[in-house]
Amino acid sequence: MSTAIVVQVALGGLLMGLVYALVAAGLSLIFGLMDVVNFAHGELLMLAMYATFVIHENSGLDPLLQLPLVAALLFGIGVAIYRGLIARALGVRFNTGMVQIFVTFGLSIFLVGAAQLAFGADFRSISNGLLANRTVAMGAIVLPLSQVAAGLVCLIAFAALALISRTEFGRALEATREDRDAVALIGIDRDRVFSIGWGIGAATVGIAGVMLASFYYISPTVGGNFALIAYVTVALGGFGSLLGALVAGILVGLVEAMTALFIDPSLKQIGIFAIYVLVLMIRPRGLFGRL
Amino acid sequence: MVDIGRRSLLGGATAGVAAGTLAARARAAAAPDIVIGAVYPLTGNAAPIGHDAQIALALEADIINGHYDVPMLLGQGGGLPALGGAKIKLVFADSQNSPQIARTEAERLITEEHVVAIIGSYTSATAVTISQICNRYEIPYISAENSAPSLSQQGLSWFFRPSPTDFDFSKSMFDFFAAIGKKTGRPVRSVAIIHENSVFGTGSAEIQAALAKKAGIKVLADISYQASTPSLAVEAERLKAANADVVMPSSYTSDAILLVRAMHDAGYAPKAILAQDAGFIDPAFFKAVGPLGEGVMSRSSFAIDAVEARPAIPKVNAMFQARDAGKNLNDLTAREVTALQVLADAINRAGTTRNTALQAALRATNIPGNQTIMPWVGIKFDATGQNTEGNPVIQQYQNGVWHTIFPFDVATAPAVWKVGT
Repeated sequence: MSTAIVVQVALGGLLMGLVYALVAAGLSLIFGLMDVVNFAHGELLMLAMYATFVIHENSGLDPLLQLPLVAALLFGIGVAIYRGLIARALGVRFNTGMVQIFVTFGLSIFLVGAAQLAFGADFRSISNGLLANRTVAMGAIVLPLSQVAAGLVCLIAFAALALISRTEFGRALEATREDRDAVALIGIDRDRVFSIGWGIGAATVGIAGVMLASFYYISPTVGGNFALIAYVTVALGGFGSLLGALVAGILVGLVEAMTALFIDPSLKQIGIFAIYVLVLMIRPRGLFGRL
Repeated sequence: MVDIGRRSLLGGATAGVAAGTLAARARAAAAPDIVIGAVYPLTGNAAPIGHDAQIALALEADIINGHYDVPMLLGQGGGLPALGGAKIKLVFADSQNSPQIARTEAERLITEEHVVAIIGSYTSATAVTISQICNRYEIPYISAENSAPSLSQQGLSWFFRPSPTDFDFSKSMFDFFAAIGKKTGRPVRSVAIIHENSVFGTGSAEIQAALAKKAGIKVLADISYQASTPSLAVEAERLKAANADVVMPSSYTSDAILLVRAMHDAGYAPKAILAQDAGFIDPAFFKAVGPLGEGVMSRSSFAIDAVEARPAIPKVNAMFQARDAGKNLNDLTAREVTALQVLADAINRAGTTRNTALQAALRATNIPGNQTIMPWVGIKFDATGQNTEGNPVIQQYQNGVWHTIFPFDVATAPAVWKVGT
């Protein structure tokens, strides 16, 4: 096995890992904020991919240029989900944990069904975007332009999330995370913080969806492929930790690629879960978790 | 509620005069529908295939029940003649492409919908559970397009498969390699096998590896991957490193899309791709990969261009197009049409829906190929329920259309053969 292949596969794993990280970031944010695991997270990704597809089909607007549009749309969807479902679920007086799980789980089933109803079960894809089917070659290393761009956009999104956490809203977010009952005493509108948190979480996965749509297929169940990895990534990085999601995402991408290269492609998920179990045994709160 | 009450009342009345002529006359006036179950993935990752299957089966039921006068067996319409013009009624169940769900759904069709037989099921993994449950309840399972050879080696006496298996298919691939090598002087010296790791892919790859060895062709890579994986980039790298004459994938649609794109992204253009059907013949695949799909070869058991020898094809295809957004019949949908035709023919010859009579009639099946839309010699089952007269073809996607390229005597276009160039 030549070094070129190893470098190539490692770079590919890194780029995919950045996408995993961004998908996980939104999940981690919401969980860290209010202890709610969003089981419909993969479906938000799917919605973003279909939104990109539909806009591209109807207006010809390139996926890359749709980033702000779809991010804003997903922000709205995130806020709507919080206001319409999660806020109500949080208000339940008994069996709160179960209710929260079932409400997002039910939402995920609903969204998959709705997508199949609206778009059919066929696999869709955007094959004529600016980035589609182009590669960048550096000697023996060939990388798809669409994935390089996706990796860069993911890094920028992480930088933006880091900036947000330094703003006044970011501090309110942090405070609400620390003690959601106490913040009301110092004049923070908890409901508003929560709904914006959901908005940002959904917008983050929306950005990942736009970038994925330019090189991945789109189908009602596409979210499932990424959701499982996102849950592992969040748990690996530590619940609620932005840096954790980034590091864990990259780690998962690399481990997946290396397992496929050196052991067996059909065992690549085992590589991911082996790392996960290892971290759980040695450091149960995750790499950067504070819980 | 009112409806149920009335029905049970009627049932009671009928039972009361069961021996009388009244009931017999009522039966003759309108023969009861023959209920046939169909288990397909209607949601989930393989839903597009299930959707097409639903349309194909409903189309064949319409041909049998209605009056379309299609030049093939039971194509004259008007229901099943030996059962007083009884109509075929289909009941669909959703397997979600999960063997467990397929099993419970098949059981529900048998015990609650009282189907006389089940047709299914696209993926071989779901066919394993469905065929076993059918065997337990002793009703026939007609395997329309499951291709894993192991299915007919389970020792099930209620399993019938008109379609060739991956053994026949793979054999024809290697026959093709030998023939095209001789014809062009540029033989296949090496292959790279890549397959999903369920019953279908694993079985297919095993046979291909064995046949390659027998033909003296080197297997430079034999890659197994998990279906519906988020990325096939590493797998593509491995194929690129192997750089075999022919890449031989056994993949479902989503993975087929990823694989072809990943090979392109890795800067790898294989000289030839010869696919084990499945995802590589899904119209959604070609839509997704665009020009990258040009030149892909696949085994097939259906040849849409064999219109001279199979006069029913144009009419059946036109009817299918009208119902499925202009899509042509393909290797899967054509075999689904044929599976229902074979079953209906057996029910008609049995003259009853009693399971043992139906089983005997299926075993005595003898349909000449020109009475179907398939390019096969005919349909005759051996002791394992496998059709012995189904012969596959090799096709190539040229300028957006499938052309039969092998066997040469039925070919409608010469193969675009880049191996050795």
